[in-house]
Amino acid sequence: MKLLKGEIISNEKYNDKLYKTSIFSPSICKEAQPGQFINVKCAPHDLSDPLLRRPFSIFDIEEEFNVFTILYWVKGKGTRFLSYLEKGDILDFVGPLGCGIDLKETKGNILLIGGGIGIAPLYFIAKKAKMLKKNVFFAAGFKNRDCIRWEKDLIELKVNYIVLTEDGSWGEKGLVSDYIWRNIKMFKDYDVYCCGPTDMLRTLQNIYKGSNNKITALLEERMACGVGVCNGCVVKIKKGKRGFSYKKICQDGPAFDLKEVIFD
Amino acid sequence: MTDQNSLFSYRECVKEDNVNLSVRLGRIKLSNPVIICSGTFNYGVEYNQFYDTSILGAVTTKSYSLKPREGNPPPRICETTVGVLNSIGLQNDGIDKFIKKHLPEAEKLGIKLILSIFGQSEEEFSKLAYRILEIENKILAVELNLSCPNVKRGGIAFSVVPNEVRKIVRSVVRILKIPVIAKLSPNQHNLIEAAAAAKRGGAEAISIINTVVGMAVDIETFKPKLSSVTGGLSGPAIKPIALAKIYSLTREKILPVIGMGGIFSLEDALEFLIAGASAVGIGTANFIQYDIGKRIVDGLRTYLESRRIYDINEIIGGLKT
Repeated sequence: MKLLKGEIISNEKYNDKLYKTSIFSPSICKEAQPGQFINVKCAPHDLSDPLLRRPFSIFDIEEEFNVFTILYWVKGKGTRFLSYLEKGDILDFVGPLGCGIDLKETKGNILLIGGGIGIAPLYFIAKKAKMLKKNVFFAAGFKNRDCIRWEKDLIELKVNYIVLTEDGSWGEKGLVSDYIWRNIKMFKDYDVYCCGPTDMLRTLQNIYKGSNNKITALLEERMACGVGVCNGCVVKIKKGKRGFSYKKICQDGPAFDLKEVIFD
Repeated sequence: MTDQNSLFSYRECVKEDNVNLSVRLGRIKLSNPVIICSGTFNYGVEYNQFYDTSILGAVTTKSYSLKPREGNPPPRICETTVGVLNSIGLQNDGIDKFIKKHLPEAEKLGIKLILSIFGQSEEEFSKLAYRILEIENKILAVELNLSCPNVKRGGIAFSVVPNEVRKIVRSVVRILKIPVIAKLSPNQHNLIEAAAAAKRGGAEAISIINTVVGMAVDIETFKPKLSSVTGGLSGPAIKPIALAKIYSLTREKILPVIGMGGIFSLEDALEFLIAGASAVGIGTANFIQYDIGKRIVDGLRTYLESRRIYDINEIIGGLKT
C-alpha cells in the first residue's frame, strides 16, 4: 500500500447517481488484486469536509493503459465531490488496501452475486477469473433500471449473466437471492462470491447453509483509517462453537467466508 | 553584503542539527514534541509503510488491558461535521500479546513507544504494571487511560474522580520505574483537580484531551448512528475545546502537558505548543493524512528556521495574553 496521487482520465456519468471514474496509476494496476480497495480523500486539497477518506473497491483494471476504475453511487458529500471531478484533476488516494482474493485456489466455475452497487468489486473478480479461464456466471440484482447503462460493461466481459430488477423494468423481475434459490442445483459446482445489502447476504447465507459450496462475501462497514489501526470497521465472525470475534473489514477482509459471518 | 548573500549564509549556518526540537516532560525526553495519540496508530508498524515512524518523538500504543477485549458492536464510527465519533470500546489483544508479539516488532523498527494501558479497577492497573515490569526498559513511559468515554466503570470515567486518579496513578508508580502519564478527559469540570491528583499520585505528565462525548442520530431510521448511542468526538471539531483546556491547565503549572485534540496541520501543532503544551499528540489526522506525523516534525524545523528560533522550547507556552 502506498500514498498515491493519480490523474483522472475520465469520469463517466451512467445516470444521475451512478458514476465510473478512471484513474491513472501504474502502482495500483501492478499491485491490486480482486477484492482490494482504495481509500480516497474526497475533499479538495487541505479542506476537511468530508473529513474521512472514503473506501472504494477496485472495479476494473486496464493494465495496458495503467488505468483503474471505481464505480459508485452518489450518496453523500464524498461521492458528490468525486462525481464533479474532471479529466486532468488529481485524485489523492491510498492503496491497494485489504486482502486480495486468490482466484487460482477457486474451482473452475465461479458464480458472482451482486446486489446494487455491490456489483463493483465483483466485476474485477469476473475479469481476473476470465483471464484464468474460469467459467463465470454473473447474477446482478437492482431495484430498478437506474443502472442499465452498466450492462455495457457486463457485455464487454463476455460472461454469462442475468440481471434482475425488483420492479421488472430491466431483465427478469424479482430478487437476485430468489433467483439463486430457484437455481441452486444449476450452481452446485460453483464457488460463490457475493456483495450487496445485508438482507441479500443474510438470505444467501440461509440458502447456502449446509451446502458444500465455498461462498465468500465482500463486506462493507463505516471505515476510518482503512489500514487496520482504528478498529472501526469490524464484523462479527464465528469463533469456536458459540463464540465470536470482531474482524476488521479493512485489514482482515473485505472478503470473508459468508458461512462464518454473524449478522445481528 | 547583499541581502541574498546574507540569506545564503543564514541558510548555511542553520542546519538541521542547529535547531533543537527536543523537549523534556519531567523525566521523559523526546527528540521532538510530536507524539502519536493512543488508538490511532496501533503501535507504529502499519504506518511504517508510509514513513519511518522512528522519527516521531513517540508513538502511544492503543490501550492494552489485562485480558483481550472484543470492544463494542458496530457501527463504531460515524463522521460528523469536521469530526469523527467513535465507540471502539478499547478492542485490543491484551497486554501479553503486546509484550510477546507487538513490542518486538516495534523495537525492530526503532519506534519509541509510550504504552497506553487501561484497567477497570486499581487492582487491574497494578496487575498491568507488574506485567510491564519485564519490558519497562524497552518503553519510554506508560500512559494511563483514565478517560475513555466508551468504557466506563459504574457509568463514569476514572478521571472524573480526583481521588481515583491519585490512587490509580500511585498504584502504577509504586511498581514501575519509568515515567507515568495520566490521560484525562475534557468531559469533566474538575480537570485541574484531577491533574493535581495525578501529580500527587506521582505522574510525570498529563495528556489532554481525550475525546469529547457526543452523538449523532439517523433521521431515516430514528436510530443513533453509533451502536453505543454516544461516543467520543475527535478531529478538527474539538480543537478549540482542547486548546482552551490546555491553556487553563498549563497556566496552573501542575505538570507538563501533552496537548492533543484535532491537530491536523503544522499550524495546529504550533498553536498547542504556544498555548503551553510541551508536546503534541496527533490522533484522528493519521486516518486521513497518513504521513502527518512526519510532515509536522519537518514543518516544525522549517518554521523555527524561518523565524531564526533555535530551540523549540522558546515557543512552548509563549502565548501573549
